[in-house]
Amino acid sequence: MDEHPRPGLFERRSTRRALLAGTATAAAAGAAVAVAGFAGTSGHSPAKPAAAGGDTVDGATPEPAVDLTRVAIADPRRRAAHLLRRAGFGGTFAEVEAFAALSPTEAADRLLNYEAVDNSALDARLARMNLNLKKAGTPPPGQGNVLQDMQRWWMARMAYTARPLEERMTYIWHGLLTSQVSKINGDRAKLMVTQNELFRAHALGRYDDLLQAVSKDTAMLIYLDTAESTREHPNENYARELMELYSMGVGNYTEDDVRESARAFTGWRFTPPNAGRPDVSGLTQAELRELRTQAIADWEPRFVLNPRLHDNGQKKFLGRTGNFGGEEIVAIIMEQPATAKFITRRLFTEFAHFNPSDQTIDRLVEVWNSSGHSVREVVRAILVSDEFYSEASYRGFVRSPIEFMIGMVRSLEIETDFRPMLRTPGRQGGQGAGGLMGQVLFEPPSVAGWPGGQTWLSSSTFFARVNFLDSFLFTQRGGANPIPALVGAATPEECVDRALARLVDGNVAAGARDALVAYARGITNPQLRAAGVAYLVLGSPEYQLA
Amino acid sequence: MISRRDFVKGGVALVSIGTTAQSLLKGAVAFAAQNPAAVNAAANGKILILVQMAGGNDGLNTLVPYADPVYRSARPTLAIPEDQALPLAEGFGLHPAMTGFKGLWDAGKLAVVRGVGYPNQNYSHFKSMAIWQAGDPDLAMYDGWLGRTLERLETAQHDPFLGFNIGGSTPAEMYSERVSIPSVADPADYGVKVNWKAAPETDARTATLMKLYEQYPSVSPYGVLLETTVETAMSSSRQLAAAAGTYTAAVTYPQTSFASGLSVLAEAIVGNLGMRVGHITLGGFDTHSRQLEDQQELLQTLDQGLSAFYADLAAHGKADDVLVLTWSEFGRRVQENANEGSDHGAASVCFALGNGVRQGLYGDAPNLAKLVDNGNVPYTTDFRSVYATVIERWLGTPADVLLGQAFPQLGFVAA
Repeated sequence: MDEHPRPGLFERRSTRRALLAGTATAAAAGAAVAVAGFAGTSGHSPAKPAAAGGDTVDGATPEPAVDLTRVAIADPRRRAAHLLRRAGFGGTFAEVEAFAALSPTEAADRLLNYEAVDNSALDARLARMNLNLKKAGTPPPGQGNVLQDMQRWWMARMAYTARPLEERMTYIWHGLLTSQVSKINGDRAKLMVTQNELFRAHALGRYDDLLQAVSKDTAMLIYLDTAESTREHPNENYARELMELYSMGVGNYTEDDVRESARAFTGWRFTPPNAGRPDVSGLTQAELRELRTQAIADWEPRFVLNPRLHDNGQKKFLGRTGNFGGEEIVAIIMEQPATAKFITRRLFTEFAHFNPSDQTIDRLVEVWNSSGHSVREVVRAILVSDEFYSEASYRGFVRSPIEFMIGMVRSLEIETDFRPMLRTPGRQGGQGAGGLMGQVLFEPPSVAGWPGGQTWLSSSTFFARVNFLDSFLFTQRGGANPIPALVGAATPEECVDRALARLVDGNVAAGARDALVAYARGITNPQLRAAGVAYLVLGSPEYQLA
Repeated sequence: MISRRDFVKGGVALVSIGTTAQSLLKGAVAFAAQNPAAVNAAANGKILILVQMAGGNDGLNTLVPYADPVYRSARPTLAIPEDQALPLAEGFGLHPAMTGFKGLWDAGKLAVVRGVGYPNQNYSHFKSMAIWQAGDPDLAMYDGWLGRTLERLETAQHDPFLGFNIGGSTPAEMYSERVSIPSVADPADYGVKVNWKAAPETDARTATLMKLYEQYPSVSPYGVLLETTVETAMSSSRQLAAAAGTYTAAVTYPQTSFASGLSVLAEAIVGNLGMRVGHITLGGFDTHSRQLEDQQELLQTLDQGLSAFYADLAAHGKADDVLVLTWSEFGRRVQENANEGSDHGAASVCFALGNGVRQGLYGDAPNLAKLVDNGNVPYTTDFRSVYATVIERWLGTPADVLLGQAFPQLGFVAA
């Protein structure tokens, strides 16, 4: 157990004055990493540095700054659990034990070189779940609603995969190279599975290949209106987001570059569904609709270029002139130093913390350039770095709802079919637990993805989190669902220690363990006790962080 | 020296929910300078309720130009017959489902703004909604127009219900980095449950959970955010429950989720929770097919819900304080399509209702003989003129800074 691992700064019981002074001190340290979580949100919205010293109150004496990017996480189990949370969705007890014995390089390689890892148990599990991943409308016999089954499919992958980094990268690409299933529309929801498989296939490859492939992905062609774009009326939506969100970031291209590159993507289309039987006379509306949804279920769209709709003329783009097609536009974008910086920074802030130094990014850009834009090599460089294993990184993120739910399943080794994750207790239908917490897979809120960071936490999402735990762990009649990992504990203390070790690295604020033990002692039924302790640790402040 | 916790425990929530640490600290400093017993000035303020009609409401079948020959010929199956429209003025009438709105018009409490839109109409739901929500056709402003407004209305007291959304998550127009707001989809979910049911905070499990948050050091990662979020969640849940305890609806709301959301807004208004801006969404207006049935049902839901809301507020003596404004991301094409529906269009209508409204039709009527973009209604009134009117004349804060430039105001808010 690792009860008091933190440097002194964390140990003081704080008054408001001490709080103000402490934060001002961190801000004065420049990087504001002592409270890394305060400094901004991930991804689209750039991190805002804390105002240096601006909020000190009179009489507060600044204390010596502690640069937590330079303080290493000491405990090997805590390092292993941290790695497995960031590079996957949390470790099982055995995984944490195994990774704790590895060096950073060995640990990173074990996660990165997953191609040889047998995942047949996951495949067999998914087959047993008998999921409907294709057909909208009336599902095939014994199967469920396509969008719900798609979400269950991916959550099961995240929770039960033997290749955690493969699912993590797929999740990262879904949050960056976004599409929203609501725009793809209900009948064609399955296109998001195809896109998801694309992310998985390109999870750690060259970013060039991923960006070329996603530009031609059917869901993306629909989502950002490329499929509507013609020589006469080029649609700028994809061209703009390609540069703003998927590669360079704002400020590195002009409106002319947007207009010119949009012309290069005109005429990009996909093959339509098979029209079905030629004679539909005499069919009812319902039969026609069934015919249509079945045709879409059987459809495997391929990318095609429609030369009649494509603009073949000269384009001027980022200082170059030529008869560029979309592929050339993506290739030119990939040559830009801005892309190297933007994507390596994004990967760093996905894995490590929100405030990489310029030197850190420069180092990652070198890896990016020397490896031919290899995502695998950049991720490797991040996962073996001291900054990744620093106290600034540890608990520097707020868990997303998906990390919250999947982390529970993995760390407590719970068996579930993920139906409870899609349920809205007390109501028929509803948006499900993920929706109440603010995250529905395949439906990010906008093209910019989930804003993430501290936006995950609000009053309503706090209630959604703990009430999900209540409905997942307990029954309406006062019973509890079994948690084998905790039920076998001989004493209330052991039950609490097991839950703390698995869920929060045995690392909680002073007094927390006592409060949990006092609660656990009040419950004699082992199953109710296990569920109650799990609820409290999963609802604790520490577990909300990753 | 009063501790931060004492401020919160004193019953006044310190910060808006989810606010950033920096503003939290500023708020704490600012609040420390105030008299803790200060009255809730915001509770006496004017309240804007924004109703989003999501999906693109067909303005032509909402405020019907029943005598216009272009309208009639373009809509062989969809046109509302002249004798069914509820006549207002100048050859315009309301959709026949809007009898409650007609009553409010007759009582002088309804205004309609015609031809509302913006230059270079975007026909994507997502982009056009984003434009309305940012209050910026160039989408250069990252936060929402009401989020920016709420920043101006924020007081040292930081009422957690200053902005209040009915729904699952913060709508983009209320987004602000400095002021966040509670979103309540269903008050039944806005509190800690035990065995799937609402339970008192004294339940042993809930009490232990609170202990974990109280003991989590503020200087630990996200310490302020975690502690404040949870404390504010619990106190606002108590406030909402207390408001519900003292509030009894004076009318019977219709059995729709829209109307029950409005009753939660009424509860917060009657309970004096300090709200200045409320938000609620009614979705489903994307009527590409079978429009007559669908729009009839939706407009009836809107009409009956808001009529009940108005009557309830009036009975509680709050009708003078509340102005309701509706919007939709676009209208629909003039020519109906082959599926008895209509496709994405351009300009549409906004409604404003309440005792503070000056009855009338505002904005020039679009000329249907001069359509734009392959058959769409040209806009005559920039949507930011509507915003500027309510920001300045109703909420009482200058609009030009919030909208990036000055826009002509419309007269629908009585001085």
